[in-house]
Amino acid sequence: MDNYSYQLYSHILRLFWRIFLIILGIVAIIIVFPFVRSVIIMFVISILLTVLLTPIVDFMESRGINRGLAILITMLIIIGAIVFLFSLVIPAIIQAAESLSSKLQSDFIHDLTKKAEVFFAAKFNNPTLARNVITKINEIGTNLLKNMTNFFKSVGSFLASIAIIPFVTFFLVKDIRRFKRAIVAKIPNKYFELSLNIFQKVGNQVSKYIQGQAIDALIVGILSVVGLFIINLVFHNPIPYFVFIGMLAGIANLIPYLGPIVGAVPAIFIVILSNPPNIGLILIWIIITFVLVQAIDNSLVSPMVVSKSVNMHPLTVVIVVIIGGNIAGAVGMLFAVPITGIIKVMITEITWGLKNYKLK
Amino acid sequence: MSNPIWEVIEIRKGKDRDDIFKVMKNVPIFSELNEKEMEELEKIIHRRGYKKGEPIFRMGDPGLGMYIIIKGSVNIAEEKVDGEMTTIAVLEKGAFFGDLALLDEAPRSASAIANEDSDILGFFRPDLLDFLYRKPKMGIKILFGLARTIGERLRRTNLQLSELQEK
Repeated sequence: MDNYSYQLYSHILRLFWRIFLIILGIVAIIIVFPFVRSVIIMFVISILLTVLLTPIVDFMESRGINRGLAILITMLIIIGAIVFLFSLVIPAIIQAAESLSSKLQSDFIHDLTKKAEVFFAAKFNNPTLARNVITKINEIGTNLLKNMTNFFKSVGSFLASIAIIPFVTFFLVKDIRRFKRAIVAKIPNKYFELSLNIFQKVGNQVSKYIQGQAIDALIVGILSVVGLFIINLVFHNPIPYFVFIGMLAGIANLIPYLGPIVGAVPAIFIVILSNPPNIGLILIWIIITFVLVQAIDNSLVSPMVVSKSVNMHPLTVVIVVIIGGNIAGAVGMLFAVPITGIIKVMITEITWGLKNYKLK
Repeated sequence: MSNPIWEVIEIRKGKDRDDIFKVMKNVPIFSELNEKEMEELEKIIHRRGYKKGEPIFRMGDPGLGMYIIIKGSVNIAEEKVDGEMTTIAVLEKGAFFGDLALLDEAPRSASAIANEDSDILGFFRPDLLDFLYRKPKMGIKILFGLARTIGERLRRTNLQLSELQEK
């Protein structure tokens, strides 16, 4: 074998081993993932919470408060607020979902079917079609509400299983710098400055992005609550649980493009089911409220608070949201865009680093 | 009951730490820091070992921070396009270099290569910025120390320039 053939042979062999190891890695991840999925989700949530809490804790520390105490105060306030909100909202939602579920199966649907039959008979001369359509919608609605009731009933056990998150978050926020140093310590000297620089830049951009998204969600939530509150004032409380619906709209806003629709649907759905007088007008005002909130968000809030470093194509957003949903359900859908953003920023910064550092 | 094994480890750890503190205290940038602030600094400072001939950073790399030699020595060298190195200075234990990178990301003006097996401490710009926000008093002390060091260097450069002009 001449020298050239030998080099080519060893190059192909190296390439083969690399591909083999990558495939082996992917297979290992696929096999192990179902067993560690919940742990990974908890860890991702803890990291996101760490990113959100760190600026508050840093601020308190800069005012002379001990870091550990600052974390404890911040976490107690947040946990207290969540428990308070849930203790108010969850029982009310379970009750509402149950009552709506029974309503769907009783007089309301019967009346609706009659009205639809008359409408279809007059317009299309086909009352059977109306009956079929209403029965189908009724089935879907009833199942949805039953699932919703079960979901909120299982929130208790869900909360118990995620009780570990505050502990992990506490230590992550407290010793974040030590963790970073410990990770960087394992990197070979050749890549040390490059890795540290990339680590820092990615950390900064991702933190800014996540903090921006959180502030954006909070503002959208507050605006939605105010809008729905005004509708309630004018039309004599047609939207119960408007605080919860508004905050839900804020959280749903984390999913670009799909979020605003997800946010408006519960309000519209509840109003349709409770069938108040002036229903048409109320629905129009709900839609106007959410469109207005979106307009304010897109033109004023979002440009100011959300970092532009992770701009993504709408198609990318839709695809990653679907993938996130398949991996981890609603939580996956919420975190799909931030996680893709993190990966995007990492790729950008690593490319920058590889171009600017002499590694040979 | 005392455990001789742990005692030895603790003593070694303590001695090691004292040595690092002593070296760091002699760096003008950190000379104003008190004991507690030194401990805070020690939490974020990076300690690394370099083999003889291993680069710490290369000329042209984006600057990230400064290094302090706690064991061994480091060659500061200019690198030509063909890769040839010209040594400008050899720095020994206690010396520091790369401190201008604490201010901005400008490319390194020279390469730093370990002259022998060396232990080196690294303090970086993001950590300085972090101190300035989180522990402003401490951050200002470091920044003031850095300003004093750069000022001193500028004064010496001016003096040398004047001497050269007079010649």
